[in-house]
Amino acid sequence: MNAFLAVDLPALVALLLAIIACATVGNWLVLRRESLAADATAHAVLPGLVGGYLVTGTRSPWAMLAGALVAGLLTIVLARFVVRATRTGAATALGVVCTAFFALGVALLETQGARQVDLDPSCVLFGSLETLFVATRESESSLLAWVTALPRPIWTLTAAAMLAVLASVIFAKEFAIRAFDPSFARVSGAAPRWTDDTRVIATTLAIVAAFEAVGSVLVIALVACPALAAAPFARSVRGQMLLSIVIAMPIAIAAYLASAHAPMWLGTTNPLNAAGTVACALAAAVPLSHGVARICQRKFHAGNAFNRRPV
Amino acid sequence: MIGANTMLVLAGCALFGAVSGATGTFVLARRRALVSDVAGHAALPGIASGFLLGEVTGLGGRSPALLVLCATITALFAALCVAPLARLRRLGDDGATATMLAGSFGLGAALLSIVQSHASGAQGGLQTLLLGSAAAMRTSDVVVLTVLSLIVVATLTVLARGLAMVAFDEEHARVAGVPVRALDFALIVLLVACVVAGLQVAGVVLVVAFILTPAATARLFAGSLRVTALRAAMLGTATAVAGVLASRVLPTFPTGSAMTLAASLVFFTALVLHRKHKFAERVA
Repeated sequence: MNAFLAVDLPALVALLLAIIACATVGNWLVLRRESLAADATAHAVLPGLVGGYLVTGTRSPWAMLAGALVAGLLTIVLARFVVRATRTGAATALGVVCTAFFALGVALLETQGARQVDLDPSCVLFGSLETLFVATRESESSLLAWVTALPRPIWTLTAAAMLAVLASVIFAKEFAIRAFDPSFARVSGAAPRWTDDTRVIATTLAIVAAFEAVGSVLVIALVACPALAAAPFARSVRGQMLLSIVIAMPIAIAAYLASAHAPMWLGTTNPLNAAGTVACALAAAVPLSHGVARICQRKFHAGNAFNRRPV
Repeated sequence: MIGANTMLVLAGCALFGAVSGATGTFVLARRRALVSDVAGHAALPGIASGFLLGEVTGLGGRSPALLVLCATITALFAALCVAPLARLRRLGDDGATATMLAGSFGLGAALLSIVQSHASGAQGGLQTLLLGSAAAMRTSDVVVLTVLSLIVVATLTVLARGLAMVAFDEEHARVAGVPVRALDFALIVLLVACVVAGLQVAGVVLVVAFILTPAATARLFAGSLRVTALRAAMLGTATAVAGVLASRVLPTFPTGSAMTLAASLVFFTALVLHRKHKFAERVA
């Protein structure tokens, strides 16, 4: 079987699915000025992963996923409680809560003999895009065989991406009201609280599924950077969402291929860490797109579409 | 009962707890909480490039001075980039922080993969910086921490008035002739110094807890900024000592996590008590 089909294509598929899942929920987070929730959630799921294993006693990925989901939701709930109870901002609350969770996770990992969980802290941090590959027999080279041999994290990610897109389409109005005018949402009842809870659940699911498939470095970048890069060009929420995905995909593909193949042209055989390279490229796209927007603005003079607020 | 090595670790962690607690108070007051997160993650590419630089120049990848120097440079650069980025349209503080965080963390991961593929790049020494290894502290580390804490405390004492003015009313400070930019720069330098010093103690992620959690706890109780900083320093020391002792009693309990968990426990206890107190006041 072709090396590209076996190694590169599954990773690229996971990457594109992760972009759809994370950028969709990331747009709402960016509009709500909560882009850092992804960073907090990605660190805070560690005790959930270990806890899922310890509670069920099995190494089933579903137990660990469920644990991660619970830990991610708990982080958001606790951080909101801290914000309400103190006079500190959301950033401080998230920082305090997620470090506490991360410390708990490391402690559980070291003390409970959960070393058998196959969890390596550095792997959790850096991600494992390289471990997603398809192993089929030589004889089966049909498309169907390739698809059925795709690793399970990709299917979980597909489900999370579909849920994120579905929730964003169905509740677009409610989420937008909540993001732009929370007090109006509360007083008018136009966006009841359960719609916001739905958004939080879809967000956490997307982050956890992407975290499992591509690692936390990439999750942090995928949630915040596409939406931030699309923001200066967007005129509507829907436009910003589509644009964020359209901008992120080619950048991610190019960065992935560069990380895998560029070192060979330079004479070394070891590929760069793919997740790190893609994250770095996406982060670089944010100031770049702002620079491009500023040049366009100067050229077609101020007061045009770029100055309108997105609704 | 407590050996010389434990005393050394206790002294180092207590000092670091005090310094980061005091610095954190001013960082929180200035609403720069997550710049510490950026600095922590941005130390990673610095460590990796320090290793590579050491290999290339023939100094050896493990020369601690080079690693610390490079970590300081990258952490300082990333922390200083947050404010100008935040001024871009629609990016805001949170967006700028997330962008720098993702970029520096990604760069760190990519560079570390080069280090690990290096023949002599046995990951041992670098891996500990991810999660910290307080137990491996040496006399020289404690000496460095002592000098650093003296410098930080002296600087904070001298600048306290100006930092407070800038934190509470930036406009007024500017009009009154306080050098706002210089003070912001000084605060970020102090913060980065704390973060780099804390890499050995707690690692890139948990170092944030040392800066935020004691300061957030101290802020729950009324008091001037100086009193709050003093309280945060004492809390930082107390929780660090408690964490070190806990990890001595339970040998598998990692020191960095124990100290963080102690600080978080104190924070949430104080939060609940604080809520009860406020509720009682309202009822009375």
